[in-house]
Amino acid sequence: MVEMKIKSSICPGCSVGCGLYLLESEEGEEREIKILHRKNSAVNEGKLCKFGTDLHTYYEREVLNNSVEGEEVKQEEAIREAKERLGSIKPDELAFIALPSTITNEEILSFVSLASEFGCENVSFGFERFFREIPEEASYIIEKGLSFSEVEKATKIILFFLDPFVHYPLLARRILKAKKNGARVIEVSFAKNERGIADETVLVEPKGIERIKEKKELFEDSLIIGELTPYMNSQFLELMLWINASTTSRLFLLKPFLNSTGAFLLGGNRNGKEARKRKDLFEILGGIEGGEIKALYLLETDLAGAMHGSEELFETISKLDLLIEQNAFRTPLSDVANITICSEPFFMKKGTLVNIEGRVIENGGESENNVQIMESMGKGRSYEEVHEEVKRRLGLAEISEFEIAVKREEKSFEMAEPKIEIEERKEEEGKEEYFLWYKTNPFFWNGIRAKNFVEISPAAMRKLGLFRGDEVEIVQGERKERMGFKISELPDYLILSEAKMSIKPLQGSLTRVEIRRAGE
Amino acid sequence: MSKYYLAWAKDEEIRKKGANGGFVTATLVSALENNFIDAALVVAKKSVYEGIPVLTSDPEVVKECAGSLHGAPINLTKYVVDYAAKKRIGLPTKPCDARGIIEQAKRRQVNLDNIFMIGLNCGGTLHPLRMREMAADFYELDPDSVVKEEIKEGKIFLVSEEEGGEEKEKWIKIDELEQKGYGRRDACKSCVTKIPTSADLACGNWGVPQGEKKTFVEVLTEKGEAILKNAIDSGYVDIEEAPGKGIEMRKKIEAGMQKLATSWKERMDEVSTLSRSGRFEFYVDALKNCIHCGACKEVCPVCACEADSKCLDMNDERDSYAISMYNMLRIFHLMDSCIHCGQCEDVCPVDIPLTLIQRRFSERMQRHLGYIPGMDVKEKPPLYETELRWSAEAE
Repeated sequence: MVEMKIKSSICPGCSVGCGLYLLESEEGEEREIKILHRKNSAVNEGKLCKFGTDLHTYYEREVLNNSVEGEEVKQEEAIREAKERLGSIKPDELAFIALPSTITNEEILSFVSLASEFGCENVSFGFERFFREIPEEASYIIEKGLSFSEVEKATKIILFFLDPFVHYPLLARRILKAKKNGARVIEVSFAKNERGIADETVLVEPKGIERIKEKKELFEDSLIIGELTPYMNSQFLELMLWINASTTSRLFLLKPFLNSTGAFLLGGNRNGKEARKRKDLFEILGGIEGGEIKALYLLETDLAGAMHGSEELFETISKLDLLIEQNAFRTPLSDVANITICSEPFFMKKGTLVNIEGRVIENGGESENNVQIMESMGKGRSYEEVHEEVKRRLGLAEISEFEIAVKREEKSFEMAEPKIEIEERKEEEGKEEYFLWYKTNPFFWNGIRAKNFVEISPAAMRKLGLFRGDEVEIVQGERKERMGFKISELPDYLILSEAKMSIKPLQGSLTRVEIRRAGE
Repeated sequence: MSKYYLAWAKDEEIRKKGANGGFVTATLVSALENNFIDAALVVAKKSVYEGIPVLTSDPEVVKECAGSLHGAPINLTKYVVDYAAKKRIGLPTKPCDARGIIEQAKRRQVNLDNIFMIGLNCGGTLHPLRMREMAADFYELDPDSVVKEEIKEGKIFLVSEEEGGEEKEKWIKIDELEQKGYGRRDACKSCVTKIPTSADLACGNWGVPQGEKKTFVEVLTEKGEAILKNAIDSGYVDIEEAPGKGIEMRKKIEAGMQKLATSWKERMDEVSTLSRSGRFEFYVDALKNCIHCGACKEVCPVCACEADSKCLDMNDERDSYAISMYNMLRIFHLMDSCIHCGQCEDVCPVDIPLTLIQRRFSERMQRHLGYIPGMDVKEKPPLYETELRWSAEAE
């Protein structure tokens, strides 16, 4: 007979933190995972986006084994070896990275304490440099989000270069509800949203982002909704914060990682104080490239999957003396890792998370293994001890998904007017100038479900002599990408991408490129 | 075939825990204990707002799942297809569960000979989060303190557990709640199939003399008769002839609820009053928001296409149509078979009013074809593409 096991879980696709059920069934040797809709989930009422609906494919990836230098070993041996080798490296030559998509609050505490056991200060959850670049009083905007009921209640919503149908689809219904309640929705973007969610569009040219500063009155009394990703241009964040600081607006930044809020609050980043001292993801990679960092511990982080252009990453990683990967599934870097430690997939984990609204949600799994792995190398605490510490640090007596436990208080802060610089390039005669805008980023949805086409304007289609079924080649120096295309209502010079490509977004999510008909 | 009884569980514990005298639970338990079925598919109650389907061969688990659960609007059809298609199973079925299973049987996804549907008369289910809001805003209760709920005599009863363990009951008329946008799901409000006549048994409290904890049972098929006989013979269930007055009363309640559902259907159809261009605008406005997550197809109890479906194959995200081929094809595909259960709308991440849209197209088509889906397994779905599937499989 088929054995059906149903667990409640949380979608690890983004910081919204949708509740769902995961149904595991076994018949003989066959094991299957199916996603079911949990209608009692306070966050999403049982609704899921494409990533959530297809989440079973995420959990059906190849499982990571425990290994030392490619040899399969027992988990205890891999842990013992990891501990020994980490101890042999100087603290400032060590780095720990955890992009918090599938990492519980309890794991965050264990991870930070593990790093500190080895004297390491280079602990990154992906966003550290942003804390350094903004006033300390503004850190709360990075750290904490707002509840979706606040979105529904807003009277004026500004979508700041954000398409809620693409980035955070479960946010879209909240904005639609706000509209029904009478809210005015304005989008500030390089291109008009094709679903027409906005009542008004303020089109911005890539070279004219500075001019947004002249439209300050537009933002008065509004809820500005934007996105913060590790790829973001700092000047862009500064611009959002400057608008926020100099108007009566509120700023709500969504993030691609499920437990970003938990990582900020528990990873030692309170008010950004700790984070300011730390290197971020890209700075750690720079440190490895420059030879200052010699050992890297990756916790449930697929770096190759999260990067535009993974060849360079492999070159960088090859400079390490020690790479330790703790993960449930194999990643492209598993093959080059010195030590791999197999942990439980997210849905099996016991633990809590904080979603972007500030709800502390319990994941429905039972496994304490992941915390135990790190604690066995570190402080040696039990799961319960770590969990109690999480509750204490978050100020929780009870855990209920129906409460917004992590609330944010709006504060005023001073912010210097930022200067937005757009990548300079000599214009070549006769060559059309195009900007590629990555509408989404490879961190979102863990890089899965990227599209295989880009969007271009009808004018670009004509100029390039394209026909339906053709492909385009997008070029950035030595990097080339061949893609299908879709015609959208865009400015002539804009190429819009939800695809993951090797082309690097030099200017946050925006970069200059050339484009031509493929095969020419 | 129809025979009418009043029935109840003989086991006191089941009678106490189950709704209306525990007949449904006792019937499933006895079927399991006598190997009449291999497994039961039941809904385990996590709270009054949450239930999880459980496929079990353990009678004790079935006993634990006894009682009504209106705040868990689950359709069990796909669970039967995916996990129990080759087993002899018994399950409680709301009319929409039974209709879904019948449609899947027509598409040869399940063998009805192996499925014992203990039908439950259904006035409708509630969305769990709306129910929580209702508890707080209208009943003035802490939603987490609500331990029991019941729908009877046109009222929704909530029982809360107070400090010290004392239970307190409050009720509000359904109509009053629904006028304020709460109460049953929209799909349920407008559903006219209140008695699951396509199941093997139809059970409920309509027609039961006031004050008696018994189930009014209509025996609809030979399988229904067999599973009932098994329950009686094994000493789990007692029955008596249903009084004529009870039969009449049940009919009256059904007719009253159908009338109310029809009036809701008309009231909720905001499109019917629009002009031609207004209707067009309504469809475009609603469907342009589709993000193609595929959840509506995934949960649809009558869709048997899985991944090899036209709506997925013929949809190309590179097309820039305001209404995608996915939606167009799904509307067409379900015109003969949609049972208007609202599962698609429940899971739609952008809140497209799919029940209303689907109903506007399919109800007219079903009327035109003289076909009511999910009611009679011998009636083939009339639309062409299903014919193709039938003929291909027949070959």
